Amino acid sequence: MITVRLEPENRELTIDRAATVTQLLHKLGRKPGRALVIRDGGLLTPDLNLKYGDHVIVRDVGSKG
Amino acid sequence: MKCKRCQIPAVVALPSHHTAFCKDCFLVFARRLVERAIKEHSMFTFDDRILVAISGGKDSLALSWQLKDLGYNIEGLHIDLGIPESSPIARAYAERFCAVSEIPLHVIETAKLGLAMCDVKRRVKRPICSVCGQTKRYLFNKFAQENGFTVLATGHNLDDETSRLFANVMRWDVEFLSDQGPVMHAEKGFAKKVKPLFRLTEFETANLCFLAGIDYGYAPCPYSSKASFPIYKNLLADLEDIQPGRKIRFYDGFLKDGRQGFAPRGETSVDIQPCTTCGYPTSAGECGFCRLTALMNDEG
Repeated sequence: MITVRLEPENRELTIDRAATVTQLLHKLGRKPGRALVIRDGGLLTPDLNLKYGDHVIVRDVGSKG
Repeated sequence: MKCKRCQIPAVVALPSHHTAFCKDCFLVFARRLVERAIKEHSMFTFDDRILVAISGGKDSLALSWQLKDLGYNIEGLHIDLGIPESSPIARAYAERFCAVSEIPLHVIETAKLGLAMCDVKRRVKRPICSVCGQTKRYLFNKFAQENGFTVLATGHNLDDETSRLFANVMRWDVEFLSDQGPVMHAEKGFAKKVKPLFRLTEFETANLCFLAGIDYGYAPCPYSSKASFPIYKNLLADLEDIQPGRKIRFYDGFLKDGRQGFAPRGETSVDIQPCTTCGYPTSAGECGFCRLTALMNDEG
């Protein structure tokens, strides 16, 4: 299970399984290049693997005004 | 995924540039894009006094950080729009950043002018984003002119510019197409305006902020849900996913080959005169800011 905090909504949810950052974004309905994915204070590229128990932040970058 | 320059693990992947970078190399990459924009379009020199429009969001803070890092003479202007849900938060980000970065920051509160946007929204029938944008442009320009700044810099990024261009094309808005670009020269009471981040996408400015340790505000304006530009941004983002690099080629191609075709018509279609009340350049006798001020101060 992976715990995700979505920003800017500040909403937390869990994803049962996502092997990579790309898969996680897909499950969240997001695409690489439109959100920062952050784990342990560092940025993750889309190809990187995720593991059970990870806590990540997915921060949308699109400004809305 | 490895950094293209130094081969250590990358932290940012950029399909549009067919590349990926580690932290240090990404910061070099971003700096070079800003330097290229400034140089290619003769935006300003180290002798200029530059006023940066600072909202507290990622783009204006990334711009301020980068220009300060490059050694330019900058000061910031934040406009507190008087929106209870978002303005105090945005202002706090701007003030914290400028204090840490040792950038002088000026603040104008629209509420003190009788123009708190929460009140304006209740009173005015036009879309609030249009009224708010007009008010900010007026105040930034006026402050720059009255305080001896030679250039006004804004944090518009590639997504802002391409979505605006796309919208103007969809309307075949000849006047806007004739003068859209990263530089608007000083003329007829308008300060010189520049957009040094126009080569960076908003994904890249967000990465720049993160990697440079810039704490920025990312709560959206509560009134922005009816803004139309996000529609064009999303359409272009979908296109960029299919054709990486399309956005910058669209914009560069417009500047190189497209804009000149609109200039002759755009230049002659609007007669700019000083506002009859405040002297601000306008095409309408009394400028929009003065008309708004009069409306908001009219008790009846």
